[in-house]
Amino acid sequence: MTIEFLDPTHENASGAFTLAPRLNTLEDAVVAVISNGKKGTIPFFDAFEHALKTTHKVGEVVRITKFNYSTPVDASLLGDAERWHALIAGVGD
Amino acid sequence: MTQTHIFTAKRHLVEDFNAAQEWFHSRKWSDGLPVVPPTPDLVAACLDWALLPAGHLIGVEPVRERAITAEKVAINAVMAGCLPMHFPVVVAAITAMLQDSFVLHGATSSTGGCAVLIVINGRVRREQSMEATFSALGPTDRATMVIGRAVRLVLYNFLDVRPGEVDRSTLGHPGKISYCLSEDEENTPWLPLAEERGVPPHASAVTVMAAGSPRQILNEWTTQPEELLDTYVAEIKASMRHYSIWPGNYAIVVPPQLRTHFDVAGWSKADIREYVFAHARIHRREWAECGKGAVVAEKGDREHAALVSPDHLLVIAAGGPAGGFGAVIPPWFGKTSQAVTMAIGACVDCEI
Repeated sequence: MTIEFLDPTHENASGAFTLAPRLNTLEDAVVAVISNGKKGTIPFFDAFEHALKTTHKVGEVVRITKFNYSTPVDASLLGDAERWHALIAGVGD
Repeated sequence: MTQTHIFTAKRHLVEDFNAAQEWFHSRKWSDGLPVVPPTPDLVAACLDWALLPAGHLIGVEPVRERAITAEKVAINAVMAGCLPMHFPVVVAAITAMLQDSFVLHGATSSTGGCAVLIVINGRVRREQSMEATFSALGPTDRATMVIGRAVRLVLYNFLDVRPGEVDRSTLGHPGKISYCLSEDEENTPWLPLAEERGVPPHASAVTVMAAGSPRQILNEWTTQPEELLDTYVAEIKASMRHYSIWPGNYAIVVPPQLRTHFDVAGWSKADIREYVFAHARIHRREWAECGKGAVVAEKGDREHAALVSPDHLLVIAAGGPAGGFGAVIPPWFGKTSQAVTMAIGACVDCEI
């Protein structure tokens, strides 16, 4: 006997999020990197910043660290966001 | 009266019950145990029991802004084995978990590997034949097992909290299958947990806490409340030394044999909370004794309390009649997440 049932998943409902416009190049761009604040991320993001500047010729890397790594980034840390061309959220442990 | 529900979830068709099991397991839509196929009639029965339309908004997960509807919660509740009467309890638990102070995303994604402890109070316990005595922290009865599992399946399927996906737990613990118990309100003069936390006396309620695994204690060699609590405190201090030093909600489970001694001495839950708050403290230098000297630095004389305040201790009456055992349930990570108590059937942010 066949069984019909309902899908239990979110079915890719992604809330209000949409992809930001893609950049053609990172050269001379201002790129912000948000760290979740765990100590282990520091050397990783140091190396990442170096790669952005040397390999991709990024003009400036803005390092942001969340106040609490378990909650969304505080709005007060995003006050300068209009100046950024790209924002990368980093998670590490 | 049965409502006619308009479901938005996609419908799937399989050949038979066994095919349904393979469908769920192959897509990681289950925790590894068999599931009840959530047919539209079973889902509708849950919604009818709770008097909720399918599209009713239970809440919004704040990090991914994902709206959780009654329909999706009911689908997962059916899968977990819930009967319609269990569904309002699941809704209350999910609603509580969506309050900002619970920090749902952090609590369910952390490497720390906590689970959601659910404590049930009120008349609903007896209506659903919940058992709060023998093996209280184990599989005691149908209702608590399926309610705890339903919460986990909602996390799995609606928020992708599966191991290796959003769930980044290093170890986790067995409470991630189901971590739900009711309080033994009949066999104690103590106020029920929910009532202590502000729920009216005759309402049923859930309390949720982002919790580590239970740590069992034993002391049957004294009748003095202070000495009994010293054993609980020692376990709390051990958790602070071995796991996390930061203050947060701790829960203690007190079975009848130990409760008798508190009752004879006239100790209330409030008295217990005050004692534990005063005594559950360690100095940071103690970390050096268990291999964590690297983070003591010059702060060795700093005292750390287990509790932010006495109210951060959840005292739960539960357990079998014999044995001087008890349990300490530590928080996931200090006060990052706070326990939330919610009346079953309560409306949050409703427009009246």
